[in-house]
This record gives sequence, structure tokens and C-alpha cells, in this order.
Amino acid sequence: MPTPPRPLDATLHGVVDYNMGAFLIAAFPKLAGIQGTRSARQIRLAGAIHAGYSALTNYPLGVVKALPYKAHLGLDAAGAIALAATPFVTGQYRRGTRQWLPHVALCVAELSSLLITDPTGRGDYHGNVEAVRQANAIDPGSKLRNGGPAVRRSAAA
Amino acid sequence: MRANVWSGRNGVQVENVPDPTLLNDRDAIVKISSTAICGSDLHLYDGYVPTMKRGDILGHEFMGEVVETGRGVDNLAVGDRVVVPFPIACGNCWSCKHELYSVCENSNPNAGIAEKMFGHPTAGIFGYSHITGGYAGGQAEYARVPYADVGPFKIEDDLTDEQVLFLSDIFPTGYMGAEFCQITGGETIAVFGAGPVGQFAIASAVMLGAERVIAIDEYDYRLQMATARAGATDAINFSENADVVEQLKELTGGRGPDAVIDAVGMEAVSGHGVVHAVDRVKQAARIESDRGAALRDAIMACRPGGIVSVIGVYGGLMDKFPTGAFMNKGLTLRSGQCHVQRYIKPLYERIRKGDIDPSFVVTHRLELGHAPDGYETFKHKQDNCVKVVLKP
Amino acid sequence: MRRVATITVLGAREEVQRLWRELAAERGADPPVSFMTAPGDRGTEIRVEVPDAPSNAVGQAVTKLSGSDPLAKAKDELRRFKQLFETGVIARSDGTPEGHAVERQLKQRPAQPLEQPEREKAGV
Repeated sequence: MPTPPRPLDATLHGVVDYNMGAFLIAAFPKLAGIQGTRSARQIRLAGAIHAGYSALTNYPLGVVKALPYKAHLGLDAAGAIALAATPFVTGQYRRGTRQWLPHVALCVAELSSLLITDPTGRGDYHGNVEAVRQANAIDPGSKLRNGGPAVRRSAAA
Repeated sequence: MRANVWSGRNGVQVENVPDPTLLNDRDAIVKISSTAICGSDLHLYDGYVPTMKRGDILGHEFMGEVVETGRGVDNLAVGDRVVVPFPIACGNCWSCKHELYSVCENSNPNAGIAEKMFGHPTAGIFGYSHITGGYAGGQAEYARVPYADVGPFKIEDDLTDEQVLFLSDIFPTGYMGAEFCQITGGETIAVFGAGPVGQFAIASAVMLGAERVIAIDEYDYRLQMATARAGATDAINFSENADVVEQLKELTGGRGPDAVIDAVGMEAVSGHGVVHAVDRVKQAARIESDRGAALRDAIMACRPGGIVSVIGVYGGLMDKFPTGAFMNKGLTLRSGQCHVQRYIKPLYERIRKGDIDPSFVVTHRLELGHAPDGYETFKHKQDNCVKVVLKP
Repeated sequence: MRRVATITVLGAREEVQRLWRELAAERGADPPVSFMTAPGDRGTEIRVEVPDAPSNAVGQAVTKLSGSDPLAKAKDELRRFKQLFETGVIARSDGTPEGHAVERQLKQRPAQPLEQPEREKAGV
């Protein structure tokens, strides 16, 4: 019984991870008008950490496939909430909307993307290979190799 | 009856649906003995083809026994064993009379939808979205076949289902792809994609007299089938080295292949990871409906003055088509959904003579109830899967 | 602005005109129609003149979406006529059992066989 489709599979999630990481480090602080403030440093750090553990995740775009995908998703959620909480914990929220709103907005964006992410991590494979092997009347391997050429060269029609 | 229906993106389910009945005098009802999952079904499964509705019966490769015929069908009798071509063609319009069956002018009752997408309507197709008419497909126990006096082809000897089933689609499709290359003997043909259609394109190029046939794919097991069974003389695995154009030049003394067959279509995978990721994001955001990585490489790789034969299925628009390379190298681009009715008899004769045994592509034979797992296994290339046949 | 719906039918002009007249009774209102022999072996071109579209964009959108646009309806009729003349039957699918109809373009049935009451409703 297929679950409601979650469009963001592991590969796409990886694309988003790296893009968001780069975006947070490079362009976001300027666009949000918080260049040079504590908030900018916090968000840049969040972006760098995110890209960092993404590269260590066991999913199609990971460089060193060490961290399990589900753990990665857990870090995504925890990190998003931590980022949202930071301005309130440090008290900087009193210095104006721009010192907490970007954090909360990014947290909401991250949690939303997690809601549409497929958590199985092997791309989005959800079939039962064992059932297929049992039900299959054929040995696939032998069809690949045995039997010789199934076609005769250049026979006239 | 039981049928495999589309249940949303990445979902198919086997459900109970009404049995088909005759709607027209030229219809027939076929009791299906074997059917298959096609690579183009995966585009429906992956959600890349618009106008799918929950409950649509999928499947356009099927064969079986005639159990009922309309009054206008004289050439078939109850009990006849038939293979049914996937394009639904009336046989009477100008296109059909010129053997262009897959662009029949009459068989698509949703011609208006197709016209908006392609400029003109094309033929109806079994089980392939409402753009092609919204016809129920053949991954089921029974199917209604319109224009049964034109389409279904009678099998009158002992060949097994798996030896003739692929006359419905993939064997003629591969053959048409190879025929477009105008092989006269001695050519080098490159085939992008070693899935079932690619395997038949390779085998057909061999049958037509090509001297070298190069198979290109990212899965070793499919390349193995291409060389051991389909007759390919060389294989390129682009996941090891993404520069296919360069490797093809090396294999051909710098000339490039005389013709290139694109048996990949709109879900192409590029060996260059970044290009592939970008294409996938664009496709997911529906900015670009078709991933054209294989077609781009085909155009760049083909020798000047050569032919690019496109039988992979595309649906909409791709980004960055190499118009400069296409024009300046003087390439010929030929394409089309296969005009199966044109090829089915001559290719059946070839099977009977022993020139080819099409059953070599079948790696999985499953009962219809296993269709959902079959789709997943086929889509993700698990368990050495090349072609899945379903038995209702 | 004059709008024309057109189609080419594979047949000699006299035969095409004859069938068109025979079916005129069923059709009811008879719009201005012209028949012309197409080049080569392509048959006969039929052109039907259609009332103007509403002059504003909103009106046009409404008629198009509600399926009452006279141009779309004229094209439907021409397609059905061509099918009847060339093949003897109207193309029916499970998604569109009545044959080509612009109202159906947005409201397709699922592509699976019809039950008896649905068949009766579709006029099969």
C-alpha cells in the first residue's frame, strides 16, 4: 500500500542541502539585511554545519557516506529548531525583528521540506525485492549471460 | 476483473474493476495471457506525464485470446491468439493509409488535449494517460481493442508468449530506430540506453548488417546482456567515464558513429553529476519537463552528416538543445512513436525463421498481483531486472 | 472577427457533401460550411464558420472553460464527422466514452471499463 507520495527523495534532498548551505553562507545575510550582525554569523554557521554533515551522509550526494540518512534528517530538524531558538536564548531578539525573524523563517522552511521528504534514503525505492525474487520463475542472471547471441547477423529479410 | 491501476506518483495498485465490453462495432475483447511493463510506463509511474487520473489502467504491451468481436470485425474469430499493437489505428485515414499508424487521425477522442501539447493530435494508445485518449490499458485480465480489424495480429504457430509478446511494442520500436539509420552494411551504430528497447535496437542493427554496434548505459548488467545476447560489439559504461562523446571517438578512430540511436528518452541520466542534479531539480520544479542529456550527447557524438534516430519517449520541452552542432554537422534527426502495424508481420517472419529470439530480454515473470513490486524493481534496476512480464 | 473550424476528410467531395447533408437533420442548426478538394490525394477540406468570440478576455476564458466555446464545439463536430465518414464509428475511450467532446477535456472518467449504467448514459 503506497504511502502518500513524498516528492523530495534522497537525491533531491541532497541538492537542496548543498544549495541551502551555500546560499546561507553567501547571499542570505545580505538579502535579509542583517549583514555584519551576530545573526549573520549564526546563520552562516548553521549553513556551514548543514553542508558539512550533508557531505558525511550516506545518501546519493554524500561524499563520505558515514552518517545514516535518518540521523541526517534528525539533525536537520534539531538544527532548525535550535536555529529558531537561538535569538531568544541569547536575548538578541530584543534588538529588532531582523534579529529573530530570519532564524524562525529558515526553521519553518526546513521543517516544511522535511515534511515532503521521503525518509527511506535509498533514493525512493519502496518495493519488496525479496518477494519479487521468490515470485520470479526466471533466474535473471542466467538470462544476461547464458544462451549465446539471440540474434543472427545480417540475415536477409 | 483485476487490473493494475495508477494510484498517484510512484504508486500502482492491483484492484477490482469492471470487465470491458464492446463499445463499437469494430471492437473486440481480448483475454490477456501475457503483458509487460514498459520503460515508458515508468514516466507515468514517476509522475512526469500530465493528465493521469487515479484509477487509470496501465499497460500497452499485451497479447491473448479473442473472446468477443463486434459486428464490424470479420478477420478475427473467437479463440484466435493475437498480439495487439500499442498504437490504436483506424486503418482508414490518410496517415494510416501511408503506414504512419502512430499518428492516426481518428483514434484519439481527446484530440483537443493532444493538439494543445503537440500542435496536432496523434493516435490513441492503450493505457498511456488521457493525452492519448484515456484508453484502459493491458495490465489486466481483459482488454477492449478498438479497430480490431486493423490492429491485432494473429499468431498461428507454437511460439511461446514471450517469443512474440514484444511484437506489440519494444521489438518494432527498436527495429524502427535501427531502420531510421539507413544501414546498408559496414556501419558503426551507437545505441544510448541498454534497456529493453535499446537491446532490440542493438539486435536490429545487427540483423540489418551493421558491422559495429556500441551499447551505452550506466549499468554493467545491462551492458552484459547487450554484448552477450543482443549482439553488441562494444560497451561503454558512462558511470565510470562520463565523457561518452570522447569514448565513442576513440572507438571509431576519431570519426564518430555513423548513426546514433537514442533509446533513453525524457528521464536521461547524465554521467556528469552536477548536470544531472540540475536537470532533476528543474524537472521536479516542472521548469523543464524532459531531461535531454542523452539526446545532447547523441547529437555531439554523431559523425558529421550522420543520422540521429530518436525512439526514446519525450513529452514536452527540454533545455539546451545543441542546434549549432545539429545544423553545422548536417545531421538528420528522425523520430516517432513506432508504427507497429507496419513492422509486425515482417518481424514475426524473422522470429519464425530463427533470426532472433526476443525472449532473451525477459528477466522477470511475475503474477499480475506482484505488479507494484515489479514496477519498483524495474524502476530501480534491482535484481538484474531488464524486462518484467506479468501473467494475469 | 471571423473564426473558422476546419478539417480534412479522406474522400471525394461529392461523397463528403452527401454524408454531411444526411447528418444535417441530426445536427439541427446548419452553420455556413464550404467544401474544397485538397491537394494531391488528401481528400476534401471542410470549413465551418463560427460565431465570433466574446470581445473581452474574461468572456473568452469563461466560454473556453465551460466548454461552450462555439469554435471548440465546431471542431468536435468536424472530428466526429471525419471519424464517421472514414472509419464508420466514433472513437470511444474509457476516459471519453461519448466520443470527442470539449466538455470532457477537463472532466475525464478514469481509464477503466464502464459499468452498465454509465454505458447507457454515454449512449453506447
